[in-house]
Amino acid sequence: MFLPKEMTEIELVVPDQDLLAVANVLAGQGVFHQVDAANASPEVIPGSASSWQEQTTAYAALERQLQATVRLLGVEEGSAPPPGQSPMVEIEAVRPLVEHMAREVREVNDLLEADRKRLEQLNGYLRQLEPVAGIPLDISALQKSRYIFSILGVIPVVNLERLKTSLARIPFVVLPLRQDRQHAVVWLAGTRQNADTLKRAARSAYLNPLNLPDVQEGTPSEIIRSLHVAIGRAQEHLGAQEAAIVQLRRTREEELQVLLWRTRASRMLSEAMARFGRLRYTYLIVGWVPTGKWAALSERLRQASKNILVQAHSGARSTAGENVPVSLGHRGVLRPFQQLVTMFARPRYNELDPTFLMALTFPLLFGAMFGDVGHGLELALLGVLLSSRKVRALRGLAGLGGLITVCGVAGCLFGFLYGSVFGLDTILPALWIRPIDNILEILYISVGAGIVLLSAGFLLNIYNAGLTRDWPRLFLDRNGVTGLVLYWSLLGLAAASLIAGFPVPPAVFAVSAALSGLAVMFSEVLKRLTDGRRPLVEGGLGTYAIQTVFEMFDTLIAMLSNSLSYVRVGAFAVAHAGLSSVFFILAVLISPGHGAGYWIMVLIGNLFIVGFEGLIVGIQTMRLEYYEFFSKFFLGGGMPYSPLTLRPKVEE
Amino acid sequence: MSGSGVSGYAAVNARVRAMYSGRLTAEVWAGLNGAADVKTLIGLLKNSVYGRYLNAVEEKSLSPRRTVFQIENRVADAYAAIVHWVPVHARAFMAQLYRRFEVDNLKAVLRGVATGVSWNRVQFVLFPFGPSTVLPAEKMMESGSVRSAVDKLRGTPYYDTLNHAMERYRAEQNLFPLEVALDLDYWRILWSAVHQLPTRDRMPSIRIAGSMMDVNNLLWAIRYKVYYRLSEEEIINYTLPFGYRVRDEDIRGIAAGADISQTVMRIYPEVTDVEALLEEPRSGLPQLEVLLTRHVAKQCRAAFSGDPFHLGVPLAFILLSEMETQDLTVLIEAKAMGTPAAGFQPYLLMSGGSPDAALS
Repeated sequence: MFLPKEMTEIELVVPDQDLLAVANVLAGQGVFHQVDAANASPEVIPGSASSWQEQTTAYAALERQLQATVRLLGVEEGSAPPPGQSPMVEIEAVRPLVEHMAREVREVNDLLEADRKRLEQLNGYLRQLEPVAGIPLDISALQKSRYIFSILGVIPVVNLERLKTSLARIPFVVLPLRQDRQHAVVWLAGTRQNADTLKRAARSAYLNPLNLPDVQEGTPSEIIRSLHVAIGRAQEHLGAQEAAIVQLRRTREEELQVLLWRTRASRMLSEAMARFGRLRYTYLIVGWVPTGKWAALSERLRQASKNILVQAHSGARSTAGENVPVSLGHRGVLRPFQQLVTMFARPRYNELDPTFLMALTFPLLFGAMFGDVGHGLELALLGVLLSSRKVRALRGLAGLGGLITVCGVAGCLFGFLYGSVFGLDTILPALWIRPIDNILEILYISVGAGIVLLSAGFLLNIYNAGLTRDWPRLFLDRNGVTGLVLYWSLLGLAAASLIAGFPVPPAVFAVSAALSGLAVMFSEVLKRLTDGRRPLVEGGLGTYAIQTVFEMFDTLIAMLSNSLSYVRVGAFAVAHAGLSSVFFILAVLISPGHGAGYWIMVLIGNLFIVGFEGLIVGIQTMRLEYYEFFSKFFLGGGMPYSPLTLRPKVEE
Repeated sequence: MSGSGVSGYAAVNARVRAMYSGRLTAEVWAGLNGAADVKTLIGLLKNSVYGRYLNAVEEKSLSPRRTVFQIENRVADAYAAIVHWVPVHARAFMAQLYRRFEVDNLKAVLRGVATGVSWNRVQFVLFPFGPSTVLPAEKMMESGSVRSAVDKLRGTPYYDTLNHAMERYRAEQNLFPLEVALDLDYWRILWSAVHQLPTRDRMPSIRIAGSMMDVNNLLWAIRYKVYYRLSEEEIINYTLPFGYRVRDEDIRGIAAGADISQTVMRIYPEVTDVEALLEEPRSGLPQLEVLLTRHVAKQCRAAFSGDPFHLGVPLAFILLSEMETQDLTVLIEAKAMGTPAAGFQPYLLMSGGSPDAALS
């Protein structure tokens, strides 16, 4: 629970003839994190992956073709077949069928598209003619006029003025017949002797003449009538094509889905095999498996290949490098907190997984800042609603549902402790403290809680350093033993100086602070000495002294600011009560008789508090976790565990 | 950052000036000019602010084209930073200014589609616009036809313009009307964005962006007249009726057949020898473009003196950065082709190897 899952590194040597069966088992179980075996052994034949890479390319091309066909036919891709049912497909065996189906679908689809375009074109003519429907003139006759040259067409509105400017030297008329934001239907006319100029001007101003190839004769209203007839015919034809597509979909859907998934599985399998190392008569497969899953996988592998050679060794945390994949795999209520942790960084294999700590401290801090029975319940209900995915518009936020629910419940519990319901402190008794009436006390408690959390951060860093046997980090780091002694000494010094009758004299803490401070200041030099190297003083002693003094100053400021940062927990608890009462005051001002205005204001206030304040408190909690707490002990940078699987991957 | 004036620009100004100090020095330019070959030039650039972009790819991959692509990343980064830094009211304008590269990319992709070249050949010809691009460039290249490529732009700011102009492409099978439509649309939106700025930012922006627009508009008119021999009405329709110094009357005059040299000299009295340049338009026009762009550079440098709390400073910086990259492109191509100094130096925006010499 507190460390990433234990991993076992495995090396498999598989005879040629068993390769496919073994690969199927590895992919089917979905627990094997593959590592490229090309560099795993000097015996791996260089360039041996190329034949599998070629296979992958061929499968990928086939998959793309199938996907295109599936899309054209409007068929869902379907779901992956159950594990163990994805043997490789023979490319040459299925290619003719795939091509036949692609051609078949494309032909019907092309006809359908042509019909749609035709319909769109006819409707386009109709739209163009509607503004001139009332003109009792034969358009073709207008165009054949002996003395007048005219163009009826569509022009971008922004070009209209420029068109007029360009024709300033000749007599002309531009009559806008209909205009929307972008385009205008215009009638441009001038004398026939200026026809060339008019044509050039119209063309260069992007005046596209109305193009009525099929139904040119007659007045606009006559053309419109014949267009309606043509549209009716085109729609009938389109209907027939759509029926053909539906029929094709019915007959081909299942076959296409199965083929697509088998091809996809084959592509993924050959991709994986391209990363196996080819030895002389065998293949070398290298990767990681969660230790808990290794026994079952090992048994399946032995069933698949009698002659397989298996070597497995557990990844020791103390010596593990960054190449060990990190599997967290938290479920249920811990899942959203795992997401919060990985948003900051993925833990390394050999450090504490802070998910559980996050699940403990995040709701605690959030609840303390947002303590209210009513608002907490509202937030919890919102979280449940999000998790349920019942509101389509909120489905994108479903991942946050669990977190919001837990935070809402925490807020609700703190509401009981604060005796606050929708900001009213007259309904429930406070089981612990009323922040608004005990401002200084709640602030002190917040800082105290911060000190406890920060101290825990120091201890966790010491533990992490112990795990990796990083002794300099454990003892000399500013977040290690010396840093913790310095922090506690400073706290003791402050307590002894401020609290009368403190049992330990301030001098004891002062000496302890000075000694630990010196150790922190010279930690770099001491670290090098412990490594058996000469101390390195860069840029001369003077520069080094100035640098260490400033670093010490920075350390002290960080300790102070990190501790005081937790004041915000108390401050928000107070602000929450204050803000709620402000909305009630506003509601009374709007409607002293508690009419509709009162309740509208109360509703707005509630929405504001749950939405806006909830968001701000969430951000502040995240800040306290990431910057104050995590920065003490959490390095991160672990490699994600990405098991080989033929089914769609679910992100950890 | 939402303020304007001192509060809005204090931090921007400081950051921009810090970045401005990173431009190549006269010594570096002298070294680049004198580099024996493109390999030496790339070696020198690796020790400059462009180093981190060039070191990001393997030495053997650094063809001249790829080198230009890598150094253009600096301009892209500068734009991304400045669009983020400037006050909210200026972001739309700066973003539109940056879209100039996207428009160029779009034109390059359309040319690629029309000529049927592969994505691999086009990829590094494009400006590295970054994740904010709306162009599905690779998908457009794979679409196989200009019509399908334009269809891939549905939902982007370019679709309507191109879709309307496609009627002409269909009739003429020539990308010219598509490119002109894109250019005109781009500059109209930019000009409108300039006029949305508050007065304090509008004036320097009109001076700088308007000067840039002038160069384009004037050169378009001249090219349409001299190279393409278009008619008066076509030239008017293919140009813009606004600018900083160049007025609509000037453009209409050129379209109607007025003396081009006289017109240019009237607009830019400081530019001499225009007549000589236009005698041989093939070589003269690019040189005229360089002279006029140097004038824009001068406007940019002027923005760095006087009141610094306006959009002019970041705007000027970004354009000067573009010009630096443009010069580096000329140098890289010249060195790659073994062109002697006399052959490429007239095309550099900075003469004699020092940016200060030319831009002051």
